[in-house]
Amino acid sequence: MRQHIALIALLGGIPVALGIWPIPRSLETGTSALKLAPDFTIELNVHNPPADLSAAVSRSANYIKTDKLEQLVVGRGASNSSAVSRAPQLKSLTLSLEPGSTVHSIMDEAIKEIGTRSEEYKLDVPASGESATLTANSTLGLLRGLTTFEQLWYDLSGDTYTIQAPISVIDTPAYPFRGFMLDTARNFFNVSDIKRTLDAMSWVKISQFHWHVVDSQSFPLQIPGFMEVSQKGAYSSSMVYTPEDVQDIVQYAGERGIDVMVEIDIPGHTSVFSESHPDFVACAEASPWATFASEPPAGQLRFASATVKNFTAGLLTEVAKMFPSSIMSTGGDELNTECYAQDPETQATLKETGQDLQQALSVFMQAAQGALQTQGKTPAVWEEMVLDNNVTLSNDTVVLVWISSMDAAAVAAKNFRIVHAPSDYFYLDCGAGEWVGDDPEANSWCDPFKTWQKSYTFDPLANLTEAQTSLVLGGEQLLWTEQSSPANLDPIVWPRAASSAEVFWTGATLPGGEPRNGTEALPRLHDVAFRMAQRGIRAIPLQPLWCALRPGKCNVDS
Amino acid sequence: MARKLALLVAALVAVASPATALWPQPRNITTGSTALRLSPGFTISLSSIDGAPEDLVQAVTRTESYIKTDKLGRLVVGRGSSDVAAYSRAKTLSQLTLSLSHGAKVQSITTEAQKPLEERDEAYTLTVPSDGSAAKLTASSTLGLFHGLTTFGQLWYENDGTIYTMTTPVDIEDSPAYPYRGFMLDTARNFFPVSDILRTLDAMSWVKINTFHWHVVDSQSFPLEVPGFTDLAAKGAYDPTMVYTSADVQNIVAYAGARGIDVMVEIDTPGHTAVISQAHPEFVACAQATPWSTFANEPPAGQLRFADPSVTQYTTELLHAVAEMFPGTMLSTGGDELNTNCYDADAETQSLLKSTGRTLEEALDVFVQAEQKTLASVGKTPVVWEEMVLVQNVTLSSDTLVLVWISSDDVKAVAQKGFKVIHAASNFFYLDCGGGGWVGDNPQGNSWCDPFKTWQLGYTFDPLANLTTDEAKLVMGGQHLLWTEQSGPENLDPIVWPRAASSAELFWSGAGGNVTSALPRLHDVSFRMRQRGVNSINLQPLWCALRPDACDLNA
Repeated sequence: MRQHIALIALLGGIPVALGIWPIPRSLETGTSALKLAPDFTIELNVHNPPADLSAAVSRSANYIKTDKLEQLVVGRGASNSSAVSRAPQLKSLTLSLEPGSTVHSIMDEAIKEIGTRSEEYKLDVPASGESATLTANSTLGLLRGLTTFEQLWYDLSGDTYTIQAPISVIDTPAYPFRGFMLDTARNFFNVSDIKRTLDAMSWVKISQFHWHVVDSQSFPLQIPGFMEVSQKGAYSSSMVYTPEDVQDIVQYAGERGIDVMVEIDIPGHTSVFSESHPDFVACAEASPWATFASEPPAGQLRFASATVKNFTAGLLTEVAKMFPSSIMSTGGDELNTECYAQDPETQATLKETGQDLQQALSVFMQAAQGALQTQGKTPAVWEEMVLDNNVTLSNDTVVLVWISSMDAAAVAAKNFRIVHAPSDYFYLDCGAGEWVGDDPEANSWCDPFKTWQKSYTFDPLANLTEAQTSLVLGGEQLLWTEQSSPANLDPIVWPRAASSAEVFWTGATLPGGEPRNGTEALPRLHDVAFRMAQRGIRAIPLQPLWCALRPGKCNVDS
Repeated sequence: MARKLALLVAALVAVASPATALWPQPRNITTGSTALRLSPGFTISLSSIDGAPEDLVQAVTRTESYIKTDKLGRLVVGRGSSDVAAYSRAKTLSQLTLSLSHGAKVQSITTEAQKPLEERDEAYTLTVPSDGSAAKLTASSTLGLFHGLTTFGQLWYENDGTIYTMTTPVDIEDSPAYPYRGFMLDTARNFFPVSDILRTLDAMSWVKINTFHWHVVDSQSFPLEVPGFTDLAAKGAYDPTMVYTSADVQNIVAYAGARGIDVMVEIDTPGHTAVISQAHPEFVACAQATPWSTFANEPPAGQLRFADPSVTQYTTELLHAVAEMFPGTMLSTGGDELNTNCYDADAETQSLLKSTGRTLEEALDVFVQAEQKTLASVGKTPVVWEEMVLVQNVTLSSDTLVLVWISSDDVKAVAQKGFKVIHAASNFFYLDCGGGGWVGDNPQGNSWCDPFKTWQLGYTFDPLANLTTDEAKLVMGGQHLLWTEQSGPENLDPIVWPRAASSAELFWSGAGGNVTSALPRLHDVSFRMRQRGVNSINLQPLWCALRPDACDLNA
């Protein structure tokens, strides 16, 4: 029977860390069975534990009881039954902070400046049934360790067990920014959809929710002092995020170790402002839209106008106050110059001030970044602000590379920090056909579909010099929602978005030193998808169940 | 000024799509521009039909319920608030009366739906006057009435509690261009609980799809409990809970029938049968042989030893038992992707061929004829995948229906052989394509049938391409298909809907539809499906869905 297990292990590739995702940087496992005692508890050996840590412990204890995930092998673990019945019982997991650590809430740790967060942890699960221990330097590290601990367990006829004890993990992420972006402007998502997504993100240790909250199509964000923008620009009065909703989302994320980076995309992608402030927007809903914008409706802020600049800075200031994160994006992608060339107001303003369009943009961007800095935010922008426009950006600006992974080197050459978000690897919407109307032949602009296998092979350091590698903060998968809504959110995102979560946590190598690879990853990714399904996320099957239960049997050369 | 603007907007929308919400578009329709409200006491009357069958009574009840609960706001800016002035002055409709034409025999929808393809009568006539007098739905069968009810259910929008239409009077005379309008679901690669199938049947009926092609078993799993052959599911289902019992099948067939849908079950033979080796190892050649790619198109390998008379007998008995579970007149024996390496390397097959003096093709011919004879003996029309006609040299009964899947280019060759055709082309109708490769250890692997088949592509399919007038008569219709290597209940709705509606309209309304005018109506399909609990996806940002044509390529 044991031999059978060893055989499966071999087929699945090494090491036998069946369910852990992302795979830890350092991992040792044994081959002993261990089961949880009926009265298994997680003990919090932390003085004055913050409420969100206690809540995280309760959630973990609950997941361990309710996951009821059977091992993904033929028989769903039935062959383990004699080993499990004889196995020692684990009575407790004890959490403690390293001596000298200050106790902060998970949220406070999660929203710290990128690069200063402490996510490392150490987890030991002895085979003997002696108490398991989880230690970290921060409550955030403890949360990461709890997440790993939850992934160790399978269910067999009511027993919760592992067949890999003893387990020893020393773990810390390769990159601090491990994100997921959701666009809530093309189509609207309810707060409950966002929270469910945050849960799923936390299960694979994603640390950053990039919230592309508004765009030309709709403005669902209620901003104190700027309520008219959402009142006129939301799809409907029920399709809004109130300040309370935002607080709720930010809090929910923070408790799960996730920082919320909100994006107010300017000066392009702002047609919707014309609903409440027609004077502020050039080429609003102008046609043909293709002349004035990358997608309908056209419309961009008249950034050369001092009034618009002041309005924008004021709005950014208020948004900044809604989000406790230290990072905030002002977007800046796909600026269309034809829109301004044909806009008499902009042309008059430029003539009056003697500036050209780029100079005016630079002034505008400095005002936008100034507003963020006053609120203590690190600014983030899309790559065009660095590569296409000639604007002065603050040195600490974080640049999201989206057009192509090939552009990362050019951004690095300008010495800006990078978040990888390349459409050729990480755009979850690609490959599902054209959404623009009256276009019978057309497929998606960024065909083909970005498979998890493709994302998983992304090299964050490609084409960068040794010195530039420190500029890479991490990366994210992104869902633009022209053809997505709550109806297909889960299946289009999961488990695919878990692939970048491992790329940026684990780095290039498996704990044993071998290169990380999709063949080893697939059985574990099945585990991710199946466990998500047990927890109410509609993650899709990546293969027929026949294959999922037989690691390696459905490989191309098997 | 505001009112003028509203009128202008309404007029523009009306021009873009006169019968905004109907899908499939009726063959003959005229609509007006007068608003009409439903009376709070609105009812659908069956009183003129003596002995109305139970499934018609239930269809009426469901329609009344949808009309009340859809609560779909019209897909325009303001979601219908600009319609208030018009509908608040409008007449109210109190009744829709259903009647069968003179001399029509009253049979259940189920009975009508399960008739042979050529004998089904799906036509109906619907009139909704502007003046509030009763709307009338007539047909010469309950199946026609059912389709008319479906159309009637799509006429209505809701705003502030009022249920109304803006386009009366409505006059419709409708009947399908093709008798076979299907959807195929594979429940073998991954399993789908009965509730998922029932929900899918509902959605199918809303767009007048009339055939559920149930690819119920395959090499990966055998979820179908066949009386007398229960060992196949006992050993071959993924799990004891992942089975369709006889009662489940009966439930599914009845649910489908009551919704105008015939169930065409497929027992794919002699390939795609690795799973039979779980219960009967001696019946299967190259079972789970490796490398799988030598012996099969996908893992696991394994095919019936059809040269063996005991396998032939077993298979025919199995088919006989399956045929008795399904009242429809069509039953598919599959027949795709037969791999000859498997038999070349199979000592048992080789010795059988040697002892009988047959070639593999000759043995296959004997096997397939035995299968078809069995189907004929229980009154079934046989259905096969195209290879049985184009690749294999076997004798098929002349009434065999052929599913063309490899390429739409193969239709001509099938028609030239005089067989009836069902369009199921992978290059137009495979819903799974474009989602990436599922075979492991293949980092660059994309889907074998890339790219994704968009609704636009499915919609522009020409069922009669390259066919002569005589050959065109062989085209029975077509279907979208979902192979489920990467699907489960988790993504069933979003991967199918509203895309599968595109072939539903193609084969009901006929070819030549225009994607630009179809899009606003397809939005309607999708939004209404969501109101009814099907997770149909958004085809565009809501901004576009509310502004027909504003997001067209050259708008």
